[in-house]
Amino acid sequence: METITVEEQNKTALAREMMEKLVDRRVLTALEVCVRCGTCAESCHYYQSDPKTEHTPYYRAEQVRRVYRQFMDPVGQAFPGWFGAKPTTDEALSRLAEIAFSSCTLCHRCTFECPFGVETAEIMRVMRSVATACGYGPEMLVEIANAAIAKEENADLFRDIFLDQVKELEKEVQDKLGSSEARIPVNQKGARLLYVPLAGAHTIVPQAIIFNIARESWTLSMFDTANYAVFLGDITKAKRIAQRIIKEAEALEVQEVIITECGHGYTAMRWDAPKWFGHPLPFKVRNIIEVIDDYIRDGVLPVNPATNGEPVTYHDSCNLGRKGGLLEEPRRVLRAVVGDFREMTPNRLHSYCCGGGSGLVAVPEWKDIRMQAGKLKADQIRQTGAKTVVTSCDNCRFQIGELSQYYDLGVEVTSVSELTAKALV
Amino acid sequence: MSLLEIVAAGIAIAGGVIFVAGIVAILIALQRRPYGVEMAPIKGSPGRGVFWSFTLGMAPWAKASARLHWMAYLRGVILHLSIFAGAAYLIATPWLGVMPGPLRLSLTVLFAIGAVMGLAGFGIRLANPTMRLLSVPDDYFALALVTLFLASGAMSAYSVAYLPFFWVVAGITLAYAPFGKLKHFLYFFYARIFLGLVFGRKNVLE
Repeated sequence: METITVEEQNKTALAREMMEKLVDRRVLTALEVCVRCGTCAESCHYYQSDPKTEHTPYYRAEQVRRVYRQFMDPVGQAFPGWFGAKPTTDEALSRLAEIAFSSCTLCHRCTFECPFGVETAEIMRVMRSVATACGYGPEMLVEIANAAIAKEENADLFRDIFLDQVKELEKEVQDKLGSSEARIPVNQKGARLLYVPLAGAHTIVPQAIIFNIARESWTLSMFDTANYAVFLGDITKAKRIAQRIIKEAEALEVQEVIITECGHGYTAMRWDAPKWFGHPLPFKVRNIIEVIDDYIRDGVLPVNPATNGEPVTYHDSCNLGRKGGLLEEPRRVLRAVVGDFREMTPNRLHSYCCGGGSGLVAVPEWKDIRMQAGKLKADQIRQTGAKTVVTSCDNCRFQIGELSQYYDLGVEVTSVSELTAKALV
Repeated sequence: MSLLEIVAAGIAIAGGVIFVAGIVAILIALQRRPYGVEMAPIKGSPGRGVFWSFTLGMAPWAKASARLHWMAYLRGVILHLSIFAGAAYLIATPWLGVMPGPLRLSLTVLFAIGAVMGLAGFGIRLANPTMRLLSVPDDYFALALVTLFLASGAMSAYSVAYLPFFWVVAGITLAYAPFGKLKHFLYFFYARIFLGLVFGRKNVLE
């Protein structure tokens, strides 16, 4: 007879408790509505790249559904064999964690291909939360999320290094603009905008050039927008990470928080944070693309598309596009700043994930999985004949850069901000 | 009414009562689950999103999956239309005797086609290795029930003599519906509404 340890019993109890807490009306509906018709299979980039049972959305969701039947469904508990309820062991939880974290990028594409609109991504999100609570969250993601919290706790330690780095970047901006007046303001109380970058000069320098040319009243955030707790489904930590920016914005009394080109960072702050905190944020949240789009439409930024003459295509980040609502804004900007813009097919709502979303890019041991899952995106890029791929998400950027090497695409990957800065006349 | 008809009608009514009670229980359980109220300023229209969700969002041309699996999609549409017609027919059966002949003939044909589509469901489920792997007894039983419901409906529309048989099958189907996968008919509306609300407010629906 199989022995169940106390630790295993505790984990199962915790998993049950978490599931009870997290299955809301939307998730319950997603769990109950699926009829396992199988039409979702081809909607998934994992399945398209490697067509096997484990890569179908309904297989993944079904594994969680069977645990739900055991934990929460009285009919499933009464007749487990009939309804497919499954006993939850330590091994099963570990397997479910692996499915939720590495076999689904929560891209939501299958939802729009399903006749019912089953939100498998929401089921997987809950499974990620359950797995994280039970200690099965990928170590790398946990460490990155903890590091973001530690940065706020030790802000004084980082401040001087940060300010020195910003001074260096400011010189770079001044050199590029040929003006010693150009600034990267930090801690500017009363500025109109607080711009939140990512780690990396490519999310500061081009945007600083744009803000300076537009004569914007802005200030640079000390923190970065990445919120890896979102990928873990750890809302407590996600709130703490978001809170750093909220507190900074409140202290500086800004009117708007502008998130850099980061898919999950934008969605977390724009759409999720108000729900987590239970009230609207005391400032407007926009993405840098929306700001650039407005500048170009208002005639504030003089751009010359001929500067970016090579064929360019755009990859819709799932978080920024399908889940974030920014589908047309990047396209309007790109049409203004590039000479030869080409769409991938399908795009926008039906765009395929690059294969690196929802934290996959951060875990080195998942590289093979990512490269396999990204094959479809690589094929799409190749079909456009583009020399440059633009994406508004740093995770997608990293993934597509690696896809380019892996599949020998020979493309450069860049952002909307960088191409805009390049097109300025 | 003969004794057989009285017993069959009793089973159908009992099934209907269990069905209604079961649906109410599902709705209460669903309402008791938390619902995270959206607090972020909206970009699009949740109402238009819901409208999209039940119209263009369900159109076969809007889904690559429908084009790819057009036979399964068509089968599903026919099956579900005939089930809905069967439900309406069930309510009308006490007046079957006065129902116009051409209507009864049309219903016979529709239900017979629906039953064939139900049978085809077994073939599809068994032929696809993933579907076969993921199917549980509930899947097959639910499919058998609706197939039998449509077959008996076709028989009773053709000849009143089969009406007690249809009532018995309908009673069992109704009684089972809130417990097994057949309850997806109710969750379907919720799923489409949530989809429209969530993505409509983000202005991403085309």
